Amino acid sequence: MAEAGTATADALARLLAGNEGCDPARLVPLPFPYEDWRDEAIPPLTESQRARIEPGPDGVSAAQIPIPGGEEERERLVAGFLDGLRKLLTRENNWTFLQPLLLSMENCVKCQTCAEACPIYTGSGRMEVYRPTFRAEILRKIVARHLKPAGRLFPGLRGHDIELDWETVVKLAELSYRCTLCRRCAQACPVGLDNGLITREIRKLFSQELGIHMPELHEKGTVKQLEVGSSTGLNRAGLADIMEFAEEDIREKTGLDIKIPFDVEGAEYLVMHNAGEFLSWPENLQAFAVILELAGVSWTLSSELVGYDSVNYGLFYDDVQYARVALKHYEVAKKLGVEKMMVGECGHAHKALMPIADRLIPDSLRVRTESCLVVLEDIVVNEKILLDPSRNDFPVTLHDPCNITRSMGIVQPQRNILARVAPRFREMEPHGVSNYCCGGGSGFAICSSLNFGEWRTRVSGRVKLRQILEAFSDCIEPETKKYLCAPCSNCKGQMRDLLGYYDAWNRCGILYGGLVELIVNAMVDVREGFIEWNLH
Amino acid sequence: MAGEVLLGWVAVGLVVFVLGCGWRAWRYRSAPVHLRWDLYPVAHEPKARREHGGSYLEEKEWWKKPRERSLWGELLAMLGEIVLLQGVRENNRRLWRASLPFHWGLYLLVVTSLGIFAAALGWNGPGARLVLGVAGGAGGLLLALGAGGLLALRSADAKLKPYTTPLDRLNLGVLLVLGALSASIALSEGGVLGAATALADTARGRPAPIPPLVAVHAAVGALFLFYLPFTRMVHLFAKYFTYHKVRWDDEPLEPGSPMARRLRAALEYGVDWSAEHVGAGRSWGEVATSLPPAETKGGE
Ligand code: SF4
Ligand code: SF4
Repeated sequence: MAEAGTATADALARLLAGNEGCDPARLVPLPFPYEDWRDEAIPPLTESQRARIEPGPDGVSAAQIPIPGGEEERERLVAGFLDGLRKLLTRENNWTFLQPLLLSMENCVKCQTCAEACPIYTGSGRMEVYRPTFRAEILRKIVARHLKPAGRLFPGLRGHDIELDWETVVKLAELSYRCTLCRRCAQACPVGLDNGLITREIRKLFSQELGIHMPELHEKGTVKQLEVGSSTGLNRAGLADIMEFAEEDIREKTGLDIKIPFDVEGAEYLVMHNAGEFLSWPENLQAFAVILELAGVSWTLSSELVGYDSVNYGLFYDDVQYARVALKHYEVAKKLGVEKMMVGECGHAHKALMPIADRLIPDSLRVRTESCLVVLEDIVVNEKILLDPSRNDFPVTLHDPCNITRSMGIVQPQRNILARVAPRFREMEPHGVSNYCCGGGSGFAICSSLNFGEWRTRVSGRVKLRQILEAFSDCIEPETKKYLCAPCSNCKGQMRDLLGYYDAWNRCGILYGGLVELIVNAMVDVREGFIEWNLH
Repeated sequence: MAGEVLLGWVAVGLVVFVLGCGWRAWRYRSAPVHLRWDLYPVAHEPKARREHGGSYLEEKEWWKKPRERSLWGELLAMLGEIVLLQGVRENNRRLWRASLPFHWGLYLLVVTSLGIFAAALGWNGPGARLVLGVAGGAGGLLLALGAGGLLALRSADAKLKPYTTPLDRLNLGVLLVLGALSASIALSEGGVLGAATALADTARGRPAPIPPLVAVHAAVGALFLFYLPFTRMVHLFAKYFTYHKVRWDDEPLEPGSPMARRLRAALEYGVDWSAEHVGAGRSWGEVATSLPPAETKGGE
């Protein structure tokens, strides 16, 4: 594996220009029963893909950036990148994050304290291009050399003698999709700087200036959501079908006759679900319905365009798209005249609808928003539903979604719930605000195209898997069925692929699922066995 | 004459330093109010929540409850950072061993500089001799040791080396020399107070011989002050903003507040990002409330 050996910008630029895949032998080792697990190398792009697409310095491609045609196109790309970078540093074009960006760009003392906090860097076996400061350093050097008036003065001495060509630009864009924006590095930084934010801003520059983005986030993400109503492609007719099935399923599984409320004007809560749940984990939607109905909560879902899908992938790559989706969400709630919004089990939707939207939503659209974890805690702790925790007599551990814990400080409610429904609960280490990302954050969980899916399970999710195995080390045999509680749709998507790739169901008996499923599984008024023990 | 020139040089260095730092802080301060980007734990949360990194969002209907803020929590966190460099201590113990003496050396030399001013204004008894001697001597020694340690780490450590520029090494080298000079002055016959008195006399128009060690220290130190504010070495101001204005900035928006007015103004900024979906040439407010130009057809 290439190491940066000397103190020049050149050395970093050489690493950036490289095309060296992650060495599977260097991946962080896994505990029992995976000591004998041998990973294949991540397959490189096929010849035909490689003829069209420029991968990142690790041979992986997430953004699927086409190789520019001729000299003119290459020059346009470089010039466009520099224009975008200039805009990123102006208040008019980037008022949304200028202050934190400037602070993080201008004050890094290069102490590398952040590096060991990063699950991707450490999980990969400390591959240099995944170091949290690597992207940021390249960007700093480009700003110092190519945008500052004195950039030509002593570039060698000042360490920014970096040349800029189309490959540097493309590799940097790709590399901005090798960080899950989990912000664990920011927590460790003694100066308080945020390499996750810098990564997000690089993505934003490419998206808002050059139209370069991960297709799953843009074309198949926010654009589709604004156009069809959901990034899953689910339209109103499909939604109605799904709800009908869900009601039937609830009847079959629980013996309860529940009508899922839609477009109820003036309800206390508009519940905002990630529409991925409807398609991939309908039991989550069903469990919410069961709990809210039995607890006597006044709630509704919306069938309005965008209103039935809480995702907002703009959060990960584009302020304009973020704002458009967030405004739609609030418009829907306002129009329905609900008292509050409740965000379902989706980490990034929490952050998008709560702290980030807080300073963006105009007074005329303002609706108060709460986390489902807080509402559920109230229901469980205040015994608004009857529970029999002995129904959950199996080991349970909790994955903390970064957006809910580290970025929002919602840590205790989910634990107060688990204390009442999961008698064999155990924490992962570290947990809460110090948790490790699942490896599918910032939209990665929905991207498996080209060779990115392999990278996501082998590299970015590796440290999480180790944590899960360690949490269950006392009962790791497959005969003991275990529950990994992940109250976030994106995290569940990653867990599905991670546990699937490592065959963790067969090897260790680990099932993943949400929090509401565990609650319903312990509800006295519900037929036993709500959780179905098969990996799906 | 040489003494006056030296003093003039130091004065200019100080003015540039103060103005430079002011400009730096103003630049961050005057940036537009940004969207929230808090990071937990947040130090001003009350103890019960702070301990697990919780926020007021853990409360049902938090907006109906009074906001509790623990000034004590913030002070403790700040003290831990300033006095012990807690973040580096917890996460990077090896570097901390050099970084702690380095920072304490700087703190003590700042105290020494203030003491020199006080001495020039007449504080020159035995107390002054002791304080200046200890602060200048210990400060110089710690700075030299810390800078030497950092220099060694940055030159030898495979992780730090690629991210260390020749200028970084030069700066550390200069600080090492300055530290060694301070310690030497403290140990020399007149000590720091003697140097302060000679400089004060010269400033008052009664030129006194300035010991060569003091002259070199003042000349190099002032040169350093010229460009220090424009480097990342003054991360002290930045740290105030990164903690108070970003990580711990959990202030919810109140309609009609000054923040709300600033945000409204930001929505009037023109957008000229070039990607097609942005539909530039309009204000932020207009761009955000419209669909992407290529996708306005809508439908189900
Ligand atoms: S910990 Fe902070 S200051 Fe140190 S290298 Fe990382 S980002 Fe820079
Ligand atoms: S945000 Fe997370 S993934 Fe990205 S560099 Fe920091 S620690 Fe690593």
